Amino acid sequence: MYDLIFFLVLLGCGYVFGQLAEKRHFRSIIAREAELQDLLCFSERTVPAAYSGDAALVCGSVVISIDYFKRFVAGLRNFIGGRVSSYESLLERARREAMLRMKEEARARGASSVWNVRLETASISKDNDQTIGAVEVVAYGTAVTPR
Amino acid sequence: MSDYENRPVPEGINISPSHPLKEFGLLVGGISAVLLTGVLLLALLAGHLVRYVPFAQEKALLSGVDIGWLKDDQNTAHQQKQRYLQALAERLATNMQLPPDMSFSLHYSPDATVNAMATLGGHIVVYQGLLDTLPSENALAMVLAHEMAHVRQRHPIVAVGRGFAVMLALSSLAGVGDGAMQQWVGNMGMLSMLSFSRAQEEDADAEALQTVQRTYGHVGDAAAFFEYIASRPQSLETPAIFNTHPDHAARIARIQQFAQAHPAAAGQTSQPLPPFMQSR
Repeated sequence: MYDLIFFLVLLGCGYVFGQLAEKRHFRSIIAREAELQDLLCFSERTVPAAYSGDAALVCGSVVISIDYFKRFVAGLRNFIGGRVSSYESLLERARREAMLRMKEEARARGASSVWNVRLETASISKDNDQTIGAVEVVAYGTAVTPR
Repeated sequence: MSDYENRPVPEGINISPSHPLKEFGLLVGGISAVLLTGVLLLALLAGHLVRYVPFAQEKALLSGVDIGWLKDDQNTAHQQKQRYLQALAERLATNMQLPPDMSFSLHYSPDATVNAMATLGGHIVVYQGLLDTLPSENALAMVLAHEMAHVRQRHPIVAVGRGFAVMLALSSLAGVGDGAMQQWVGNMGMLSMLSFSRAQEEDADAEALQTVQRTYGHVGDAAAFFEYIASRPQSLETPAIFNTHPDHAARIARIQQFAQAHPAAAGQTSQPLPPFMQSR
């Protein structure tokens, strides 16, 4: 019985704090993206001649943990398959945050564009159930500062 | 410069629009419904299959179970009561169509509980609390015949088999440890008294009435126990037998109906209980 109460408290905490954190994070992401909208990012491998300048590697990485509630829902989803929507927003946040951190670094260098942008994802916990369920996203690219 | 631009990306294109609580509700509800159906089916199937377990095997199941009233009582007064119960049960047994390998072991408990119960292996326990409420041997015979009918119709093993199937299914899903399983197996003798269905009770009643009729030639006092239960004020503590034996008014009515259809011949009266069966 105590196990069940403990579990429900964890689930409730996970839901409340997870949702609060997610909403706050999305607000911050949207605001910062608007701010950095004029810093251009492309996946093109070579810098076109019209944009050439001083090049430097910039990168941004972020690690975001899953909350208890989302982890439980995703576990249930494992039984029947389908879209793991509780993980979708987690990865979306991680991707956008990594891009933003990369752009912030590029802006600090005075760059006007980033080329050859790549995203990489790593699961921190892998298959180990005992560690935290967290995801890392790294965004990196070549920032070009006009001469 | 105009060849390259970053257009703003619309919000929400990478996320399913469903609310997390809605998904949670659907998943929990759907999976529980499937599990419940599966476990119920398994329980029903187990209940059918377990009837094929030989009675000797059923007896062996209870050998390792530690229940107080299953042990031999050294008290001579208790032994006398136990022998009387055993003799009465054997007399009743001659009037039941028993399979050749089926036998009964009657036990007496000095406890004041108003109850009698049957469990695995033909073990039947009668509590002193029950004996004190009964006006005659006929009334006791009805209760005994009822419990014996449960055993003959294999109700205890069916209940245990169902419980075992459910326990096995749930523990294999939830990964309950060995300890919980052993604890449950240890308690199953007690569990079996808890889960006879109303239909099983009715079947046992019907067979008990036939048996008492064949043994005594009439069913006087057959409803005595239920009438006693019905006459108790509601505020009193509910007897344990209530939990498994609902709707006693309907049962009294059925017994009286049977009694009217099989009236006692002149001179047939209820036999009193021997004085040594009373606690006082």
